[in-house]
Amino acid sequence: MPALIPIEVPADASSYEASTVHEVYDAIAPHFSQTRYKPWPVISQFLSSLSAGSIGLDSGTGNGKYLPLPVERPGSVWTIGMDRSGELLKLARYAGSTSGSGSVVRREVVLGDALDVCWREGAFDYAISIATIHHLSTPERRRRAIKALLRSVSPSHGRVLIYVWAVDQDELSKRTIPETSTSDSSISKGRDALVPWVLSEQPGKKSEPSGSAKVYQRYYHFFESGELKELTCEAATELGLQIGPPPQDGEGNTRGVEIVQDSWERSNFYIELKLWEV
Amino acid sequence: MVRLITHNLLACHAKGCTTNNFPLVFKDVQLEIRESEMNPEFLRNFYPKLEWDALVKTAEQLGDTSLPKTQPPIESVDEEFLKALHHVLLEIHVEEGAMTCPNCEHRYGIVSGIPNMLLAEHEVA
Repeated sequence: MPALIPIEVPADASSYEASTVHEVYDAIAPHFSQTRYKPWPVISQFLSSLSAGSIGLDSGTGNGKYLPLPVERPGSVWTIGMDRSGELLKLARYAGSTSGSGSVVRREVVLGDALDVCWREGAFDYAISIATIHHLSTPERRRRAIKALLRSVSPSHGRVLIYVWAVDQDELSKRTIPETSTSDSSISKGRDALVPWVLSEQPGKKSEPSGSAKVYQRYYHFFESGELKELTCEAATELGLQIGPPPQDGEGNTRGVEIVQDSWERSNFYIELKLWEV
Repeated sequence: MVRLITHNLLACHAKGCTTNNFPLVFKDVQLEIRESEMNPEFLRNFYPKLEWDALVKTAEQLGDTSLPKTQPPIESVDEEFLKALHHVLLEIHVEEGAMTCPNCEHRYGIVSGIPNMLLAEHEVA
C-alpha cells in the first residue's frame, strides 16, 4: 500500500476536486465498482427502517450499491442515485442486477453535484450521503453539501444519514493518515491527504510484475472526532433550524433537526438526523 | 434513467431561478417502454407525495393520457388505477432528449437515460 500524501488544498477548490476526485472516479469506475459491493450494516439498517412508499436521495451514489436496498422488501422504497461521475452512474443504472441471468433491474440516476439542490426542496423522505462529503476540499463546501441534504428532505419528517472517513482508522484498515502539513491545527480540523488508487492497465489479464499499473491520487478530507457533528450544527443553524429534539410544548412555526446517532464505525464517522416542524 | 417518478422531483436550480422552475419540460425525447414489477404498497404510500398536475401534464406530453386531471382521493384508488399509475411513473423511460426550465429555459440534456443536472459554477444559485 503506497503511503498517503499530506497536502494543502489550493485556492481553486472546484477545479482541484475536478482533477483529484471527478476525473479519477471516471477513470477508475469499473475497477472501483468491483471493490464496492457490500453494504455497510448501519446503512442497511437505516434503509430497512424506512416505511413503504418512502422516496429518497443517495447523494454521491457511486456505483449505486445502496439503490437496491432494503433487500428484504425490494421496490417498497425508491432511492434515486446522484453522482458527479458519469462513468460510475453508467454502472449504478443497473445496480443489483444479476449479471448473466437476464434479470435486469433499472435504477434512477442523475448526474448532479452534492453541493446543489436540483430538486423540489423538501421533496424527499430521506437522504443518504455515504463516503462523499470527504471529497470536498474546504469546510465551506462540506457545510454546503450538508445544507443541500437538509434542504432536500421534508422539513417535517425528513431523515438524513451521513458517512465520512475518519482520521482514526481501525486496525483492519491499511490506511495510516499522515499528520497535516498545516501548522496551526486550530484553524483547520481534520487532515487533508491524497489517497492512491492503483489501477492495473489490463484488468482481467495477469498483470505484469511492475510497470503496468497506473496510480491515481484521490483527494480526501479525513474528519476528526466531533467535526462532522459541528459541521452539521453549523449547516442547520445557517438554515434557521433548532438543534435537538422537538420541544414538548412547541410554540409553533419552529423547525429543527434532532441528532439521532453520532458515532464511529470501522474507520468512519457517521451521523443520523431527523427533521421536525411544530 | 429519467422516469416520471424522478421527473416529478427535479427542479431547475439555475441562479435566481426560484419560481415557476417546476416541472421541467421534456424536449426532443426518445422513449422506451419497459414493463416492470408493480409494488402496490409503495404506490399507495407514495401517492399523496406526488405533484399530480405536473405528473398528468408531463405524461400527456409523452403521449399517455390514462390519468385523470384531478387527483382521485386515496380511498377510491383501485388495482386498475394503480396499474396505470405504475406504468406512468415507472415504465416510461426517457432515454435521450432534454428537459428545459419553464422559467429560465435552461436546458438539461439527457444521454443514455442519464439527465445532466450539472451547472457551471457561475450558473448555480
